Amino acid sequence: MVCMLLSIALLAACSGTKESSTQATQQAKKELTFLFNFASQTVDPSLDYTPLRAGVVETLVKLDENVKIQPWLATQWSSKDGQNWEFQIRDGVTFQNGKKLTAETVKQSLERSIELNPGVKQVLRIKSMKASGQTLRVVTEESFPQFPSELVHPNTAILDTEAAEPDKKPIGTGPFQVESFTAGTSLKLARYDGYWSGAAKLDRAVFAFNEDANARLSAILSGDADIVYRPPVESMDRMKQDTQLRLDSVVSLRTHELIFNTKKPLLQNEKVRKAFDALVNREELKDAIMGGQATVAQGPFLPDFPFVPKYPTRKTGTEEALKWFKEAGLQVDNGKVTQNGRPLTLKLVTYASRAEFPIFSQALQSEAKQLGITLQIEQVENYEDYLMNDTTWDLGMYSPLIAPRGDASYFLNVSFLPDGTLNYGKINDELLNKWIYQLDQTVDTAKRNELIAQALTRINDQTYYSYMVHPNTLVVYKDSVKNWVTSKSEYYMLTNQLDVEAK
Amino acid sequence: MIQLLGKRLIEFFLFIFILSLISFAGIKLAPGDAVRQLLRVDDVAVTNEQVEIQRQIMGLNEPIIVQYWEWLSKFIRLDLGTSYMTHRPVTEEIWTRMPATLLLTFTSIVVLIAVAVPLGACSALYPKKWIDRVSRVLAIMGASIPSFWLGLLLIEGFSVRWSIFPSMGNGTLMHLVLPSLTLGLTMAAVYVRLIRSSLLNSLSQDFILGARSRGIGRKRIFWLHACRHSLTPVMTMFGISVGSLLGGSVVVETIFAYPGLGKFIVEAIHNRDYPIIQGYILFMGAIIMLLHVVTDVTVGYANPEIRLKEGGH
Repeated sequence: MVCMLLSIALLAACSGTKESSTQATQQAKKELTFLFNFASQTVDPSLDYTPLRAGVVETLVKLDENVKIQPWLATQWSSKDGQNWEFQIRDGVTFQNGKKLTAETVKQSLERSIELNPGVKQVLRIKSMKASGQTLRVVTEESFPQFPSELVHPNTAILDTEAAEPDKKPIGTGPFQVESFTAGTSLKLARYDGYWSGAAKLDRAVFAFNEDANARLSAILSGDADIVYRPPVESMDRMKQDTQLRLDSVVSLRTHELIFNTKKPLLQNEKVRKAFDALVNREELKDAIMGGQATVAQGPFLPDFPFVPKYPTRKTGTEEALKWFKEAGLQVDNGKVTQNGRPLTLKLVTYASRAEFPIFSQALQSEAKQLGITLQIEQVENYEDYLMNDTTWDLGMYSPLIAPRGDASYFLNVSFLPDGTLNYGKINDELLNKWIYQLDQTVDTAKRNELIAQALTRINDQTYYSYMVHPNTLVVYKDSVKNWVTSKSEYYMLTNQLDVEAK
Repeated sequence: MIQLLGKRLIEFFLFIFILSLISFAGIKLAPGDAVRQLLRVDDVAVTNEQVEIQRQIMGLNEPIIVQYWEWLSKFIRLDLGTSYMTHRPVTEEIWTRMPATLLLTFTSIVVLIAVAVPLGACSALYPKKWIDRVSRVLAIMGASIPSFWLGLLLIEGFSVRWSIFPSMGNGTLMHLVLPSLTLGLTMAAVYVRLIRSSLLNSLSQDFILGARSRGIGRKRIFWLHACRHSLTPVMTMFGISVGSLLGGSVVVETIFAYPGLGKFIVEAIHNRDYPIIQGYILFMGAIIMLLHVVTDVTVGYANPEIRLKEGGH
């Protein structure tokens, strides 16, 4: 024991000496450690999002803070029919090994990603590509108007395919080049002086990973991290009290939703769905359960998207729910709901990895209980598979990414088409299907927005889902950090503008 | 000797074969598969039909026995396959993480020995004295504190308040201190009591009384006779502890963002990365088997009674 304590003291002493000896060399250096909540096992940009988030690689187009696509490595693009595309690749851009970015290198990079990642192949649906100088001509398998939006996907980021170790040291065009990567722990980065949009203000950066929220908070409090992504919400007060910390909370592109299994006869009745929707106390979920770190949802999309319709005012509460249950043909007596003289019992499934969902479920259970309805809550492993394949559940909770690349067609396709991979509610609405197919073939933006608005109105009228809240993304950083921007898309984190007061 | 070695080798390969069969069936029968993860269905507009096509491409819709045969025929050629997550060979993925895991295992054992042996021995030598009482309290505390909580407490103290050790990461000796203390102290709690009771048991044996009556010194009796005799249960337990440390201590690796095998394998399970899971199970199976052999030999050496019972000479 004594030996151990002596060893610790010795190590501590060594640490102090080391720190003081390196302090002088670090004085002029601008270094920053960013701590993210998911660990990466590879930094191959075709397989992982971290290289894009860390500013190592870039995509042809990017999302701005209004979730609109903007030029990045491509300066402009055009298509008359939504199938034949022409992209102008930015001139004067070099990879971090000095090699020039051309349409040919972009083509090779996209081909590699398609070959390596079946998800990218599905995203891009490219039939052929032809490169000439800085012009890239792409033909998609069919008319695909949202093709440029799909190029926002981090796995379509451009890298030099001839680099030796793309899974450990990818060579991209971003402001930071990889120094070293330790799988599951950290990615060490150094400034790339030849960055086309102006060299980064930081000399070095570390993109570290830690999945434990409390350990992430400790890291910023101990000085091991400068920026921490998603600190524990329950420690808000402690973070607010620390005058050296700044909190940033931005509404995300996710929506927490209540799913109705429309294979169940009871839930095929839209009025029953409306009754359960009325039981969702959104303000309580936002304030009491999520500590205010959310926005009440009116529909799946945030209201600032151009295609979001003006939703009618929603009435909620048990009285409103009783009204809908009655209209649905159920018996309502003394404030209690019964069907054929028997009380209702439904199975509500949820999962643990979103900590608020079990509590959301209990809140809904409590509201339903007031009406004599029993909600049996079940927490399920392999949740997505369960929702897709099991037939016994009635209600479920889920949190899909609504517009990961800014375009609404992704969400409508996966959530509402009968063969959609996130259509857990087994929705099959012929009218809605027709509009989604039409949307997928429509190039004109105004017409597309019109179709999306039409679809969203239909979804709201039918209450296929009950959209509860849009959760916020919380970031805490030291006040010495400058120009940090919490991106809604969660794609862009380390940028050339990010700065820190020299240590 | 050659016969014994041959017997052990046959046992080893039979064990690996049965383990591979059971683990393969177990993984495949569990719900979910890798395709939805691989296609990132929560991020990419794909249909269930396309998911099924990808499943067919990867051979995941074949009967389990066909998939097992495919895997086994590769395994016989020493090919454990490629990770779905990283596209790197399974052996490379496991070997890359092995040094960090070995290092953490070693340092945790150092902490375990440094704490458990003196405390356990003193408790046995001075029963019902203050040192015994202190060790009992420490043992109860250590056994009842979950390792993740102890880890967070150590971070709060040594990183946040006193800024002595880094709270996470790897690369230097300093990074090893807190995870090693967390793992070592948690395990030491169990060993303190085990060493104490084992030593007390040894000290009450007839051969100890005999040694005393022959006038052998107290120190000599303790170190040479009692300690050696009490090693049997401790060594057996030690083999199991080393195995579990090598298998990865997920919670501790997660809290300290330490790049060991435990966290990696949990992520592989989450992503249904079958080649990694299967490779890991076999790899760990082989290591555990080897540890058992080493433990058997060591225990036999320490305790001639056991060696004789098992037919040794």
